[in-house]
Amino acid sequence: MRFELSDDQALLRGTTRDFLAAEFTLERTRRFVENGAEGHDRTGWSRLAEMGYLGLTTPVDAGGQGLGAIELAVVLEEMGRMCVPGPYLDAVLAAAVLAAAGGQEALLAELHAGTKLVTIAREDAPFAGSAASPPRLEGKRVRGSKYFVPFAADADALLVTTADGVCLVSSPFETTPLPTIDPAQRFGAVTLEHAAVRLGPPTLLERPDQLAAVGAAAMLLGIMCKLLDTTLEYVRTRKTFGRPIGAFQALQHRLADMLLRIESTRSAVYRAAWSVDAGDAATALACAAAKAYAGDASRLVCGEAIQMHGGIGFTWELDVHLYFKRAKTLEQHYGATETQIERALAAAGL
Amino acid sequence: MDLHLSDRHLAFRDELRAWLTANLDRPWREHLRDPAATEDSLIELRRAWQNKLYRAGYLGMDWPAEWGGRGATEVEKSIFEAEIALADAPPILNILGIGLLGPALIHHGSEEQRRRFIPPMLSGEEIWCQGFSEPGSGSDLASLKTAAVLDGDHFVLNGQKVWTTFGPWADWIFVLARTDAKDRYGGISFILVKLDTPGVTVRRLRQITGESEFGEVFFEDVRAPRENLVGHVGEGWRIAMTVLAYERGAVALAYSAKYGRDLAQLAAACREIGRTDRACREKLGRLVVENEVMRANGIRVLANLADGRAPGPESSLEKLYWSEFDKRFRETALDLLGPGGQLLRESRFARADVDWAREFLWARAGTIYSGSSEIQKNIIGKRVLSLPQEA
Repeated sequence: MRFELSDDQALLRGTTRDFLAAEFTLERTRRFVENGAEGHDRTGWSRLAEMGYLGLTTPVDAGGQGLGAIELAVVLEEMGRMCVPGPYLDAVLAAAVLAAAGGQEALLAELHAGTKLVTIAREDAPFAGSAASPPRLEGKRVRGSKYFVPFAADADALLVTTADGVCLVSSPFETTPLPTIDPAQRFGAVTLEHAAVRLGPPTLLERPDQLAAVGAAAMLLGIMCKLLDTTLEYVRTRKTFGRPIGAFQALQHRLADMLLRIESTRSAVYRAAWSVDAGDAATALACAAAKAYAGDASRLVCGEAIQMHGGIGFTWELDVHLYFKRAKTLEQHYGATETQIERALAAAGL
Repeated sequence: MDLHLSDRHLAFRDELRAWLTANLDRPWREHLRDPAATEDSLIELRRAWQNKLYRAGYLGMDWPAEWGGRGATEVEKSIFEAEIALADAPPILNILGIGLLGPALIHHGSEEQRRRFIPPMLSGEEIWCQGFSEPGSGSDLASLKTAAVLDGDHFVLNGQKVWTTFGPWADWIFVLARTDAKDRYGGISFILVKLDTPGVTVRRLRQITGESEFGEVFFEDVRAPRENLVGHVGEGWRIAMTVLAYERGAVALAYSAKYGRDLAQLAAACREIGRTDRACREKLGRLVVENEVMRANGIRVLANLADGRAPGPESSLEKLYWSEFDKRFRETALDLLGPGGQLLRESRFARADVDWAREFLWARAGTIYSGSSEIQKNIIGKRVLSLPQEA
């Protein structure tokens, strides 16, 4: 039994950290964020492709690296620390669906190479709880609307969830930008009236949904780790009433709570990732719990990071808000907390 | 990463499961729910159960062979704790003796002390209580004042201990006593005192549950033989602290097994009484999620132990997690059950599954004993986060 990463996994962590520090600096993220009109970062994307990150979890015989959920968690935790913008997780999930469906080798190869961007169009309405019905696949055409489609304006193909499964459609798309509080993720609404290829039933999404939960939770973990580090540095140096604010018990206890949530998220994320790879009986429950818990934990940790920084924490200048906003996207997508709670209950047989 | 139990540990678990199936005739919660049960009858039941475990070789497994050990490690011990929790066996009665005094004697005691005290401790013949907290020394334990003065071959003790778990049933107490008023830490010694010694008075304290699991112990010119000193004079604080560190292990795994069982009972109760709307499902679901994360923490601690690693930060966070969760769980259970959740077990309307009212009250204790949540957070702030300390 071993919780620590294997040597290969630890190596992946190290190379990913170095790679991101060189290629996806916070300055670069800032530029991306400040330039709202700019779309997908093609240069950064092709570097990710060159390094093999886009095919990370695709099986080797489908042209990928054949790595598992643990490796995905490692990469996304590092991306969370750097607040990397863009549709990385979205593309990995699309690749997982395409690989599982089979028969899409050419598109998968272009996805891995970074020459084509594919994401998954899931949301049927802009707000939760709406009675909107999913697009309908009739014959070889799909009709309907999708919201919060990741990088819809830049996507070359979309995987569209319908009432009875998943289908593939190709650009061009008629998209309306959906600007949100998170400038690192670009969303669009898409009106579909497209020729479509049916890929398979909803069960095609089972494993991708588990990867989504683990991946998003891992990125939340990285975000929380980074914000705790940043906050610790601040409370050790910022002085009020003649002492560092970190010496006040009112803050110390809350910082301890932040650590509790972060370390518990770490246990949950990597246990879930291991379960996916090992085909463990508790996989569904472990994945749902990890994502739901990470979402709740991120509210506390990211919120406290702003609060403890005081006025500067509320400024655009400080990077904390970039993480705070990215966390909210991750919390509400990739299976929102409510969805994960339902899955957890179902998986626990309750 | 590999979270599978090794073949050796799997074999141990399976053997233990088979033993539990053959030897545990009634789950603990049924005893607790039994209107005929009294505090005394439950203590005797736990004593008998402990004796059964002892004879089967499951207590002190990780100690040297002559003291009940069988080459097991903290991994087997953690698996054992998780499995008896899963099987809903009665909690081990002499937990303070086995959990704290046993390791103290093995690491710091004399050969005579081990021979005299360990076998009856494991068998349940002699029950131990812990004399640490005092009326004026709780979280700031090192300020304790109970004095022990050497007089010939005896220490003479004067003072008072409080919140003494099992005090009303114990035969012996291990006491942290002050042997030097001027040395805060180095002036504390670790002394074993028989509770029927003249001058010792044990008084029951009634807890908010109505039970008297703990009490207070008064010492008035109590003479304890010098050979009942563990380690040297002035080593008491060091012994207590190292012994507390042995109290680790994957307790989160055992707790999540217990909570998982109660959660299944709560879910069944909700279905039965028609609490299946969205709001209720979400409350229940959050508890399931939090318990599953506790299990993940436990698995991580266990894997680190099996991997020969010193427990990381997750270990110091374990107690904070489960004790705070316990309060949320029991509060939510009452939310879901409604006023019926408050019924005492003697009521014919009380649910037969879990004594929800008692569990609700008991949950208030966990964040206070063994270092309150506030103390745990101080420790995390200081030792894990290295925060600046107030001058």
